[in-house]
Amino acid sequence: MKVPMKWLKEYVDIDLSAEEYAARMVMTGTAVEGVEKTGEQFDHVVVGYVVSCVDHPNSDHLHLCMVDVGAGEPVQIVCGAPNVHAGMRVAAALDGAHLPGGVKIKKSKMRGEISNGMLCSGPELDIPAGLYPHIGDEGILEIFEDAAPGTDVKEVFGLGDDVIDFEILANRPDCLSVWGLARESSAVLEKHFVMPEIAVEETGAGRFEDYATVRVLDDDACRRYCARVITNVKIGPSPKWMREYLYGAGVRPINNIVDITNFVMLETGQPMHAFDLSKVRDQTIVVRRARPGEKLTTLDGKEHVLDETMLVIADHDNATGLAGIMGGEESEIVDGTVSVLFESAAFERANNRITARKLGMRTEASGRFEKGVNPDGSLEALERACMLVNMLECGDVVPGAFDHYPNPIPPRTIEAEVSRICRRNGVDVPGEQMEDILNRLYIDTTLAGGVLTCEIPSFRQDMETDADVAEEVLRMYGYDHIPSTLMNAVTMPGFRGEKMRFNDRVKAALVGMNLYEILNYSFISPKWIDSLGLPADDPRRDTVALRNPLGEDTSVMRTTLVPSMLSTLAFNLNRGNADARLFELSKTFAPAKQPGELPEEKSALCIGMTGEGVDFYAIRDAAVWLLAKFGVTAAISAGGDGYYHPGRKAVLTVDGVQVAELGEIHPDVAARFEIDRRVYLAEVDLDALRPMEKPLYGVKPLPKFPAVTRDLALVVDESVGAGTMLETIRKAAKNLEEVRVFDVYRGDKLGAGRKSVAYALTFRAADRTLTDQEIASAMEKILRSVSETYGAELRA
Amino acid sequence: MESKLREIRERVLGELAKAESSAALEQIRVGVLGKKGELTALLRGMGKLPPEERPKAGQRVNEVRAELEGALEAKGEEIKAREKAARLEAEAVDVTLPGPARGAGSLHPMNIALERMIDIFVGMGYEVVEGPEVEYDHYNFELLNLPKNHPARDAQDTFYIDDNIVLRTHTSPVQARIMTTRKPPIRIVCPGRVYRADEADATHSPVFHQMEGLVIDENITMGDLKGTLDEFARQMYGEGIRTRFRPSFFPFTEPSAEVDLTCANCHGEGCRMCKGTGWIEVLGAGMVNPKVLDMCGIDSKKYSGFAFGMGVERIALLKYNIPNLRYLYENDLRFLTQYR
Repeated sequence: MKVPMKWLKEYVDIDLSAEEYAARMVMTGTAVEGVEKTGEQFDHVVVGYVVSCVDHPNSDHLHLCMVDVGAGEPVQIVCGAPNVHAGMRVAAALDGAHLPGGVKIKKSKMRGEISNGMLCSGPELDIPAGLYPHIGDEGILEIFEDAAPGTDVKEVFGLGDDVIDFEILANRPDCLSVWGLARESSAVLEKHFVMPEIAVEETGAGRFEDYATVRVLDDDACRRYCARVITNVKIGPSPKWMREYLYGAGVRPINNIVDITNFVMLETGQPMHAFDLSKVRDQTIVVRRARPGEKLTTLDGKEHVLDETMLVIADHDNATGLAGIMGGEESEIVDGTVSVLFESAAFERANNRITARKLGMRTEASGRFEKGVNPDGSLEALERACMLVNMLECGDVVPGAFDHYPNPIPPRTIEAEVSRICRRNGVDVPGEQMEDILNRLYIDTTLAGGVLTCEIPSFRQDMETDADVAEEVLRMYGYDHIPSTLMNAVTMPGFRGEKMRFNDRVKAALVGMNLYEILNYSFISPKWIDSLGLPADDPRRDTVALRNPLGEDTSVMRTTLVPSMLSTLAFNLNRGNADARLFELSKTFAPAKQPGELPEEKSALCIGMTGEGVDFYAIRDAAVWLLAKFGVTAAISAGGDGYYHPGRKAVLTVDGVQVAELGEIHPDVAARFEIDRRVYLAEVDLDALRPMEKPLYGVKPLPKFPAVTRDLALVVDESVGAGTMLETIRKAAKNLEEVRVFDVYRGDKLGAGRKSVAYALTFRAADRTLTDQEIASAMEKILRSVSETYGAELRA
Repeated sequence: MESKLREIRERVLGELAKAESSAALEQIRVGVLGKKGELTALLRGMGKLPPEERPKAGQRVNEVRAELEGALEAKGEEIKAREKAARLEAEAVDVTLPGPARGAGSLHPMNIALERMIDIFVGMGYEVVEGPEVEYDHYNFELLNLPKNHPARDAQDTFYIDDNIVLRTHTSPVQARIMTTRKPPIRIVCPGRVYRADEADATHSPVFHQMEGLVIDENITMGDLKGTLDEFARQMYGEGIRTRFRPSFFPFTEPSAEVDLTCANCHGEGCRMCKGTGWIEVLGAGMVNPKVLDMCGIDSKKYSGFAFGMGVERIALLKYNIPNLRYLYENDLRFLTQYR
């Protein structure tokens, strides 16, 4: 909320600079976004008096003006506006002036004639017509005020005041008003807050009832409704001071009646509405809920279909406005308006908010109603508006006000123990000082027996418990008095959960493999999932969708990390990062099994690699090594999802449970992510891996007897997996300590489709040295087994 | 014979002095001490001497033999040492030759910061607790004193799944879950992903991380909150970094505070980063609102507590002087590889 300092100073004596004042307010809990000055959009523009004006010798439309800018001799300024003439007062931008839009004025020559500045039009200064009535006129701006040449034009326009941009938090709707802020400031600065005395002169004929009828049919959604009638209305501009205040507060001045409603809203926090009474059918206003399906066109020309929860302002038959949100088109104030009905009502906040949300409308009034408007202030605001009508002499206030307030806010008292407040705040403040602070805040407080009894004023509905009282005391006493203590409490063990520790170890292992962790959004485009080409019934197609996503690209919770990884690889390749080794450890989301339950969240890991030296085996071994880090040895078999290369994909299983899937990404899928290179991914199911971990416990004794080594070269069909055959070898013989592949050979001698795999075998027994005979028999068993299973032959 | 012996000795010692390789040495050894060597021949020729001279002559030959063997061995050692030195010298490598490029691998900078944050609080006796990212409105808002249609909800633009389920807008629902299921004393931190319907820019991201802290016990004060956060600031950013509390409003705390830290860039002098104020706004905190305690089934007459919530990305941006929040979610390796 923007408030001109001048306006605040009408009600409280602030003898600080705007910056100092703002700092005091911030440190007592009223946030300030910034301090500005009105008219900051330009500088070095002064009132100039055109002494003479002749045609430019080298131009058919330019003029040479001698302008008195209050600096001794008049200066020459070239001007092209048709309306410039001798004897007028103008806004002269001098050499070095800054104008809106980054324009800088310099002394220069125009077609051979010196020009010492520029005479400005209204738009060139970016001042709204409402602030200065002639600003929008054609040509250069003429100043009609009798201002001395050289005077800063900001003075003429009423600019140059400090404006504080307050950020009012949700608990203090009372501070969404000049009076509220003045009251708060008076407590902070320990100054008096002086409200204007409100007295209305009822100069109109007859009584309210003679002109209008108001019926309130819903006391729940409309807590209070006050109204008054003004006759003999004379629409015109409001006075300069009011226009200045409104402009400073960021509101466009329009005409006296509309300006009064806005002025009162800003000053009191109470939204006001003005009806052109002659346009209100039968001069009857009914406040009721809408009929289901009832239609209404609001001021902005939009048609709405309403439901029975929405509160409307209606005539005898039809809704004409949305209560507290926007009025109807028909009864808008126009230049010819002669009689006005002022509405000052307190509509219930939740109902107002729900209606505004449903209709997608948000106005200044609705924003205020949903934060809470104090019904106790409605009549006062109405009277303030009528008082301004008196002051502006723009109509006659008809005697009598309508006021429907069936359920006034009950008084509320909070009792708070001084000792409890001190304990909560960790700061000892004497009870008397607390009492003083609270009274300064207009909370009537008495101290007796160590207990503060606080009468909560109706504008402080945020105060509910003694904790609120503690906060009021602390913020006024000063948060900088809070001591820095470490709690005096029982010692507790600090630790991470097992699951988090596990994930941390996974990440450490991956970082050790020279991989970089990435973070991606948890929501993705459903198109990304389509791009994987999953079967129609694949569970990963069943996503949790956001009801209000930022866009389609971020509209469903991801069921797999694969698309995000592919996108990140593509992004990096695109940026010239040809070698990428990445991983992401995050959650995937599957729809809840039962309606109303939360989606299922799983820990997932995806590794992605591309670039020099990266091949199928690099990605496979990254997964295998990761498993090994947890003591898990998985069986590797060809296979996996369709988005992998059909001949370069594998799954890792442990006792039939799949823990990982990996391979080269299918070129078609890669292409859909705009990747034109071979990229490799591995997906590890961390929730599956975690329980498989072998605990670290005990060691095998170190060997006492010598080992015997043998090599074995076997010729088999290409289709036989070297690793698969290795497992068979391992199972075939006793005392086989280790087997590894040391060579794979293909060649003409072996024949097409055949390969030779050479294994190095190490035999050892724990309790004796093995004999040659035992070794020979073991080798024989192995050979028999592989020959039976795979048709393997000893390589000649 | 004696002269022959002397001649052999002189000559061999002379040859030895000149020998420069193991091979040359071996040749000398074979020439004098080998099966067909000169000394061996002399010994064999002993039989021709009169028996009474034999012992003496034998002794002389053996003396010379021992001397020559010793000399041979000494020379051998010397040559071996020289040869080894020459070999080692020849094996010298260019220690500055650049190796193939290889990154160090790294956690994401957000997680580097988060790890540190967690460590600091674990060290102060906090248990680390996690909760669901897709959360009931009940835990995310209602139990935290943010009833439906409360305007304070506007401060957190929320992604909805349906009327009752949201993407959590803060890590505070984990607090609510713990308070409704455990008895005090409670001392936890809850890190994790949170979501707000904000378009991504230099300071906003629709997905980011928070770490929530909650302490509930008897006689917990606002001073304890300040002390705790001061300690955190010191460990996270270094000595001389202090907190500044400004009054604020959060529905779940009362009193509430916005907490600034001394700008680590200028140490409070005022600079571009802190817009000249010397302070950087980092987190929100306060004393748990007694209404929240009561709603969660904890006796607010007996217990009090504090809570704080900090944006991990913000902490990381400040800690590592990262200019733009977008860097964190783009995953450009030219950025990531700067971490280790």
